[in-house]
Amino acid sequence: MRQEVASVTANAELMPQVHLMWLESSQIASPAQPGQFVMVRCGEDFEYPLRRPFSIHQQDGSKLALLFNMVGRGTHWLSQCQAGDELDLLGPLGNGFSIHPGSHNLLLVAGGIGIAPLVFLAQQALSQGQAVTLLLGASTAPQLYPEHLLPPEVKLVTATEDGTAGKKGMITDLLPDFTGWADQIFACGPISMYQTMTKQNFVTTKPVQVSLEVRMGCGLGVCYGCTVKTKSGLKQVCQDGPIFDLDDILWEELANGGV
Amino acid sequence: MNLSVQLAPKNKHGLSLANPVMTASGTFGYGTEYSHLFDIQKLGAIVCKGTTLKPREGNPQPRLAETPCGVLNSIGLQNIGIEAVIRDKAPVWAGWRVPVMVNIVGIRVEDYARMAAKLDGVAGISGIEVNIGCPNIKAGGAEFGARPDLAAEVTAAVKAATSLPLLVKLTPNTADIAGVAKAVMRAGADAISLINTPRGIAIDVSRRRPLLGNVTGGLSGPAIKPIALYMVYTVAGAVEVPVVGVGGIATASDAIEFIMAGASAVQIGTASFTNPRAPLDILEGIEQFMKKEGIEDIAELIGAGRR
Ligand SMILES: Cc1cc2nc3c(=O)[nH]c(=O)nc-3n(C[C@H](O)[C@H](O)[C@H](O)COP(=O)(O)OP(=O)(O)OC[C@H]3O[C@@H](n4cnc5c(N)ncnc54)[C@H](O)[C@@H]3O)c2cc1C
Ligand SMILES: Cc1cc2nc3c(=O)[nH]c(=O)nc-3n(C[C@H](O)[C@H](O)[C@H](O)COP(=O)(O)O)c2cc1C
Ligand code: FES
Repeated sequence: MRQEVASVTANAELMPQVHLMWLESSQIASPAQPGQFVMVRCGEDFEYPLRRPFSIHQQDGSKLALLFNMVGRGTHWLSQCQAGDELDLLGPLGNGFSIHPGSHNLLLVAGGIGIAPLVFLAQQALSQGQAVTLLLGASTAPQLYPEHLLPPEVKLVTATEDGTAGKKGMITDLLPDFTGWADQIFACGPISMYQTMTKQNFVTTKPVQVSLEVRMGCGLGVCYGCTVKTKSGLKQVCQDGPIFDLDDILWEELANGGV
Repeated sequence: MNLSVQLAPKNKHGLSLANPVMTASGTFGYGTEYSHLFDIQKLGAIVCKGTTLKPREGNPQPRLAETPCGVLNSIGLQNIGIEAVIRDKAPVWAGWRVPVMVNIVGIRVEDYARMAAKLDGVAGISGIEVNIGCPNIKAGGAEFGARPDLAAEVTAAVKAATSLPLLVKLTPNTADIAGVAKAVMRAGADAISLINTPRGIAIDVSRRRPLLGNVTGGLSGPAIKPIALYMVYTVAGAVEVPVVGVGGIATASDAIEFIMAGASAVQIGTASFTNPRAPLDILEGIEQFMKKEGIEDIAELIGAGRR
């Protein structure tokens, strides 16, 4: 884990309200693993005292990419950054996804911006010779992550809530058709998506790893801002997570707290 | 150039710091977490996470909210408990050059006394910071530090249980900060640190309810700096023991303001989240300032801005 001043090499709106940013960050990019994240310092001086956590979206040698939704002050500020600007990053942080030895077929489930950590995971899995199916859901067609940015070997299945692309409905509606094929399932999306999955019995017959989002202070295990209750006790999302087993999390409690 | 300060001149062990830059409790863990980001041994002192007699689980999520130039937290004192601190952390600290103080917090007066007794004589522990900003059950939920009599009772109980240097950390959630400061000084505090977090609330407008799981939280960061500075100024004028300034310090110039207001040392809290190197940057900035101004001894700056 390092603190590094990284220079922005590209930053553009990829989908409405969603930016793709590439950074030159050799010390953080090289050791990064899929599912890990960085804490990005936002704003001038100390106006935004808390760094913002973002999953590592892609890694390419000494560069890494972030894919972020513009939701508040920090992400709006980030969206204004231009090539050549410098950003202060901490990372790579957290545990990352773990692909079990012997898993051949990986099912990736992305809800909205939840695609962010899964592209890196897909790239790594494919390079190791595993097969990847990606179930990609969004509210409407323009919010779907562009297919041409995915590795061509990924089998892509899409759904939109309004039916403007792919199957009409929630991405979790498609799960019954693919869980039989999968050796492992990896999901990233809103808590409501995870809650739906816990209720789908066929899903829980397979090992499912999910990425959790909670508000973070330090990202280093110092502040206890990110603590959640799990079936195996208190966990710090920034250290013990952000990747957890789906059935380890007490979802009702977390949904009640929200972020 | 002399940057060293003595925070417990009357205590038999003393509490001598190589420089006046400390870390604030709850924002620097047990020191170990930051040690791979910079050389923490260069700091004046480290204060560990608030510690209770038994481990605590803390409050429900969400525990953090950002406000303009500030942070609201309701961690709820999640911590590993005093036994684990003594067993697992103190032996690590014993090998360090930088002194480490244990921040203790109790629900009852006896809790404080029992923890102080346990810490007495443990290698690796250079002093105790007594956090009296905790709701007190016997006093109907008021913080110990809200009233001079309660604050003095806690301080006296700790003093009787240990010979370690005592820093008593005041809460701003009181009507009489100078009165509380004088009371804890008379009850045996070697030094006084302030401020802990003023209480605050944020509302989640989309859900129409308090944003924090615990409803209220403590405000920290640059937003509280003028309040902290005012209280440090007030207390430094009211007591005869060293004062340690805490609250919204993010730059060397912030730290120098506190020192000029009368603080012998400063603690860096929330700024470590924004920039883990902040304590070291601040220390280097103080050195540069002294060089530029031709100041030989930090003592020349302490209280230099008072009138
Ligand atoms: C491990 C992890 C990985 C993440 N990866 C991504 C990603 O790849 N792409 C992406 O778009 N978003 C991601 N998020 C969510 C992202 O951190 C928030 O959307 C972002 O912090 C919002 O910042 P803001 O200043 O724009 O919003 P504001 O609402 O102004 O933020 C105020 C405070 O709340 C925190 N906060 C607000 N929303 C969230 C949230 N959903 N999760 C955590 N903290 C929040 C902020 O960090 C900040 O401290 C991730 C969160 C976590 C915990
Ligand atoms: C996340 C967090 C946890 C804290 N935990 C403690 C604690 O355990 N004990 C304590 O005395 N103060 C605690 N504090 C208060 C700080 O030590 C400090 O007094 C306060 O944050 C003001 O300083 P700052 O503005 O530099 O952060 C905590 C503050 C924060 C932000
Ligand atoms: S964010 Fe501070 S402990 Fe996890």
